[in-house]
Amino acid sequence: MLEIIIKSMILGALGGFAAAAGAARMFHAPEIQAMGSFRGLGELNACKGDPMAHFSFGLGFLFNAAGSVIGAGALTQDVWHRIVPNWAASALLLKNKKPEETLYNPAKMAVAGAIVGAIVVAFLNSIASIIPESLSAIAAGILGPASSTMIDMIIPVLFILAALDAGKMPGMWGLALGGLSQLIMGNATPGAVLGILIGQTIQESGFNKSAKVMLVIVVILFAAIGQGRGFWANMLSFIM
Amino acid sequence: MKKLNDLLMKNESFPLLTAMLCAAILGGSHMFITEGFGFFNEIAQAEMIRNGMETGDFATPIGYCTGFLLARILEGPLVGILDIGGSLMTGVGTGFASLFLVTGMGAIMENFVLTLIAGFVIGLILGLVIIIVKKTMPQGMAAGGTGIMMGAGNAAGRYLGPLIIIYAAKYSIPAGIGSIIGAVICQKLGKSMVGGAILGAMIVAFIFPGAAA
Repeated sequence: MLEIIIKSMILGALGGFAAAAGAARMFHAPEIQAMGSFRGLGELNACKGDPMAHFSFGLGFLFNAAGSVIGAGALTQDVWHRIVPNWAASALLLKNKKPEETLYNPAKMAVAGAIVGAIVVAFLNSIASIIPESLSAIAAGILGPASSTMIDMIIPVLFILAALDAGKMPGMWGLALGGLSQLIMGNATPGAVLGILIGQTIQESGFNKSAKVMLVIVVILFAAIGQGRGFWANMLSFIM
Repeated sequence: MKKLNDLLMKNESFPLLTAMLCAAILGGSHMFITEGFGFFNEIAQAEMIRNGMETGDFATPIGYCTGFLLARILEGPLVGILDIGGSLMTGVGTGFASLFLVTGMGAIMENFVLTLIAGFVIGLILGLVIIIVKKTMPQGMAAGGTGIMMGAGNAAGRYLGPLIIIYAAKYSIPAGIGSIIGAVICQKLGKSMVGGAILGAMIVAFIFPGAAA
């Protein structure tokens, strides 16, 4: 138990420092390279200046993360995307109401984020570690098949449909690479994703350098994974 | 504080931030592999790793995560905000962790300090690549493709809640009833129903164990 808490605090402090600093840098992007997400920036802006708004927004996602880590061991992406940046902002804004001097300041956000991260991650992992075995067995029995269906069927279909909706070029590339990746990798999603990127690039600006670079990466990826999974040997067995 | 802020307001310090976050995220994958919790990502990605550890086939997480990582690394310097969900949490925390497990370097993932070092190095390299791309950005990169992907990714998340109710109902009658109650309460409160559905199923199925299917 002590080991789990210590490890969690190290991870939380390390990640919290970086995630909160990255979030503060979002207010200075694109001149300064930031990290986080556009959605997160919008949410930070929406509660700007009000420590209570930041706090309750983060709290909602903390409950969500707690449910997910108890059920499946996953802390959700919201720990770095939402809880840490919003709670760091909330703590800083309690003392100083000006976002320009708090939320937009990477150093202050980083220090607050490290403290918040250490506490949040240690808290979530400790409650996950005291959950009885039979409870997690139930969760695994439900989540296992649910997420296999997600991964095997829903996500590939959605990505291929998204490619088709985006136009002729992304549709063609998404279908072709998605189908090939189902054959080679056993899942159509990665191919559909790469097909969307390549197809959209070609649709917007022709078969340019970045489309070519991406195509080369795809060929290498498919060749290597096909080799690893015995696809090429298997395919040859149909001919010979 | 002033000095730290000057450092953190520079583009050159970006690789340091990605390195720290990647170390933490890969450390979370180490916790998940050794303890079964602590994974810095969504349930779907956690199940990809768990599934891979059971079957030995990691092609899905590696393929899925490489696609996301590539897309986000291309997009990050273009728009000025690197999406840490797709690039670091999915790409590194799930993709690289799977890569280590499948290429016989699983020992790295089982050691806390080694995962931190590995994550730090991977993050440092990714951060450097992003800053180099940002400074030498070729013209004519399409940002539109990432928007389409994002839309599909977000749409996928919506399916998990209903799927959990369906599989809870298949698991046992109490689990099904619990997940319905949990999901309805969350819907009423305007929260994501995934957490409510799974917690409801767990609680009711725990009270009435019976003979699970």
